[in-house]
Amino acid sequence: MTTSAPSGPAIECIGLTKRFGSTLAVSGLSLKIPRGCTFGLLGPNGAGKSTTIRMLMGMLSITAGRAWVLGTNVQSDPTQVKQRVGYVPETHHIYRWMRVREVIGFCKACFRRWNDQTCREMLELFGLDPEKKVKQLSKGTLTKLALLVAVSHEPEVLLLDEPLSGLDPIAREEFLDGVLRTICDRGQTVLISSHMLDDVRRLADTVGILYEGRLLLEGNLDALLGSTKRITATLRDGCRPKEPPDGTVWQRLQGREWTLTVRDFTAEKFQQVRALEGVEHASAADLGLEELFKDIIRGQRAGQ
Amino acid sequence: MQIDPSSHVPIYRQIADCVRAAVAAGVYRPGEALPSLRAMATEIHVNPNTVQRAYDELCREGLIEPQRGRGLFVSQHGAAVARSAAGNGVRRAIDDALRAGRTAGMSAAEVREIFDVALQRLAQEANKPP
Repeated sequence: MTTSAPSGPAIECIGLTKRFGSTLAVSGLSLKIPRGCTFGLLGPNGAGKSTTIRMLMGMLSITAGRAWVLGTNVQSDPTQVKQRVGYVPETHHIYRWMRVREVIGFCKACFRRWNDQTCREMLELFGLDPEKKVKQLSKGTLTKLALLVAVSHEPEVLLLDEPLSGLDPIAREEFLDGVLRTICDRGQTVLISSHMLDDVRRLADTVGILYEGRLLLEGNLDALLGSTKRITATLRDGCRPKEPPDGTVWQRLQGREWTLTVRDFTAEKFQQVRALEGVEHASAADLGLEELFKDIIRGQRAGQ
Repeated sequence: MQIDPSSHVPIYRQIADCVRAAVAAGVYRPGEALPSLRAMATEIHVNPNTVQRAYDELCREGLIEPQRGRGLFVSQHGAAVARSAAGNGVRRAIDDALRAGRTAGMSAAEVREIFDVALQRLAQEANKPP
C-alpha cells in the first residue's frame, strides 16, 4: 500500500518554522505521529494550527525546518503528499456552481485511487443529495462533502483542519461518525485540529497543545490527564503561597484559596504543598481535558 | 450508553463502568455477545482504541471472554463479577462526595447523616408504586 517505509511515522517534523513578515506563526515545531494514531492538535486562535497543517499539505512554503508525511518530504514532493493524504480544510473551496455528484466525479478524476463503495456509504451516512448544488449547501453539509471526498480516495493520513466549528450538533455527530468509521475500518491515521475539546477527547488518543507557534506539550491523552492534578489549598490568614512544586503549570490565589495545576503529579509533590508554612489543608483532584487545556494556556499567558 | 467527554474520569473507564452496569442489570446476559469494537465506537462516538482498552480491562476481570473468531461474550459468572466490580464505581462516587464534604469543613457525623437520609429516601422511592 505504501511506497516508502510503511513502519515509519505517518507524520514527522523537525524544527518546522513559518514566518509571515515579522510574525512567527510556527516556531521550531518537532513532532512525530505514528501510523494508526489519532492526534488532536489543540491551541487558541492564532496558535499556528492551520499554518502547520497547510505546511504538511505542501500548500504553504516552509521558512525553516523539515517535514515528512509518510516518509515523503512535503516541500520536495507536494503532489505525492496530496495523493496520499485526505484533507478537510477550514474553509472550503469546492466549486460553488457544481452539483454534489459533479464534485465527486471531478475529485475522482483527480486522484489515483478512488473507492466507489466508500463514497456511496458516506453519501448515505451523510444523507447527501447528489443533485444539490454546492452553493445551496450549509456549512455542515459542505464539511461532510469535504470529508466524503477526503476518505473516498483512500488516503493513508487524514488531516482535518478545525472541521467541527460552526457545525450544528447533528452535523457534528455525523461528521464524527464518518471519521470513526474510517478509523475502525482502515486503521486510519488522523490529525485533527479543533477547539471542540469534548470531541477531541472522544476521537484522539494523543494530543499536542500549540501556543504562539510552539508545541507546549504532547502525549497520550489518558496519560496526560492521569498525571496532572489540581491541588486546592486553604491558607491561614495573612499567609502568601510559597514556592509551588516542580511541574506547576498554573496557579492562582483568590482570598485564602490557592489553586495549583501540577503536571507529573506525585504523592511527594502533594505532601510538599501540604507541608508548606501557612497551608491549613489541601486536596488534589483530577482534571478534564478542557481544564487542563485552559490551565496550560493561562499559565503561559501569566508567564509561568 | 452515555459517555461524558468533559468528565475527569477516563473514557475507557466510563465505558467499562457502563458495560459492568449493563451486565449487572441483565442487559447483556452470560453467553451473549457484546457489541463489536466498530459497533460500540460508532454508537457512543469514541475512538475504537479506547473501546478496546475498556474491553481489555473487562477481559482481565473475567467479566467477558473472547471466543475465537466470534468476538467477545459475557462469561458464565459475568453477572457476579459485574456486581462486585460495580462496588468500585460506588466507592469512587463516595470518595468524591466525601472530599466535597471535607472541603466544605463538614464533620464525619454530618456527612454520615446526609448519607443515612439519602439511603432512606432511595429505599422509600424504590418501594413507591410506579
